[in-house]
Amino acid sequence: MINQNKKFILITLISFLLVLIYFYSTFYKENPKAYITNQGDNTVSVVDLVALEVIKTIKVGIAPLGITILNKKNLVFVGNVGTDDISIIDTRTDQIIKTIKLNTAPLSLTSNPDESKVYVTDWFKNNILIISVDEMKVIDSIEVGKTPSGIAFNEKYSYLIVTNRDANSVEVYDKNKKLIKKLPTGEHPFGVYTKGKYAYTANVYNDSITIINLEDWTTKIIKVGAHPYNVFTHQNLGFVTNTVDDSLSVIDLKISKEIKQIYTGETPENLDVHRKLNLLVVTNWGSDSISVYSLKNLKLIKEIKTGAQSRSFGEFILQ
Amino acid sequence: MRKFILALTALVFSMSVFAHGPTPQKVQESITVNIAPAKAWSVVKNFTDFNKIMKTRSFDDEIMKIKYEMLKKDGPFSDYNAYIIVKKGANDNESVIQWTARFYRIYKLNPPIPEGQDDATAVAAVKKIVKPGLVSLKKALQSK
Repeated sequence: MINQNKKFILITLISFLLVLIYFYSTFYKENPKAYITNQGDNTVSVVDLVALEVIKTIKVGIAPLGITILNKKNLVFVGNVGTDDISIIDTRTDQIIKTIKLNTAPLSLTSNPDESKVYVTDWFKNNILIISVDEMKVIDSIEVGKTPSGIAFNEKYSYLIVTNRDANSVEVYDKNKKLIKKLPTGEHPFGVYTKGKYAYTANVYNDSITIINLEDWTTKIIKVGAHPYNVFTHQNLGFVTNTVDDSLSVIDLKISKEIKQIYTGETPENLDVHRKLNLLVVTNWGSDSISVYSLKNLKLIKEIKTGAQSRSFGEFILQ
Repeated sequence: MRKFILALTALVFSMSVFAHGPTPQKVQESITVNIAPAKAWSVVKNFTDFNKIMKTRSFDDEIMKIKYEMLKKDGPFSDYNAYIIVKKGANDNESVIQWTARFYRIYKLNPPIPEGQDDATAVAAVKKIVKPGLVSLKKALQSK
């Protein structure tokens, strides 16, 4: 009798545990995360965007800078300009699953919408390298203009857009690797961002951004703060990191004008948003941190210490 | 011998790090002085010894921060921007003065990098500005 009782309790306990595991695996979803490349200490900080804290620090190659997120494939590609290679991180385990050796410095990275390819700007040899995500190796390249810096993929037209920092221009390539347009920008264009029918370049030496209409190829210049590095848009607002002003320019895209500047950490470089959480995240190279803002009121929620010289040039938030 | 080999390995390793291009360099140094932050800020803000080599870009009284750009064009570095910030020390009568400089080496093309135009040379040159600069600032602060 006592034995049977014990058996009953054991079976109940096991069933209870199984039910618990079932519910946990069905409903539990990991919190959204940001991946921050710290060029000064060769690491990537993984930041939990709900808890607002660093949950892991991953050793990568030397001098990590560029980054891109493959949401559907649970992968992060990080370009190490010191070791000339790419570290691929699996976002489910936050571990490096592969390192792709290149013979050149990978400055910036982006992917196409189905995430089958990752494009890498090859700073030294004026190329774009094309990586097959499934094969995890370089399968092709495109010869481009001088000093390719920022790179972005436009979904609407399937265009690949590249800034040429030292040539003060932006180049637009189509699916067949054909250059279809080359336009002048302001001086020293670094970051590039694209959404819908527009592309935006940050012109470091002119304290401006150039807005390019990808339909009729007209351009417009908007004044921002000192030494802007990158651009991002969300709904009707544009955001620009002003590295020397330690601020973010907020632009009303309807009137094409800067409407205000908000404080960031020291030397803000790059930015990305988490759409569901309504967060805007800025990396601060100078203060080794990220600043997290609410997109609703543009108020600072928290500044989080990351690693030395945080940059994350590219898309860095897992949606 | 072992130490020597280790040092040599470290040197070669760090040189290979410096061999690559598009990386901004950072020099950050600070000093502590026995003066209240508000008083230290009034001195830092009006300090004129740097005027020969640097020009004030802007300053912010609220966060006690002054920004400089470089006037000296003959140094082995480029795109130099710096700021000095006054922070609270361990007690009310103590301040920490922190100087942060961001710059690039002078040679921006593909390797090989000519001697004297690499990252290490640029960092060393900026340290030669920052370190004595902070020392003279400390002298001025403590004579007040």
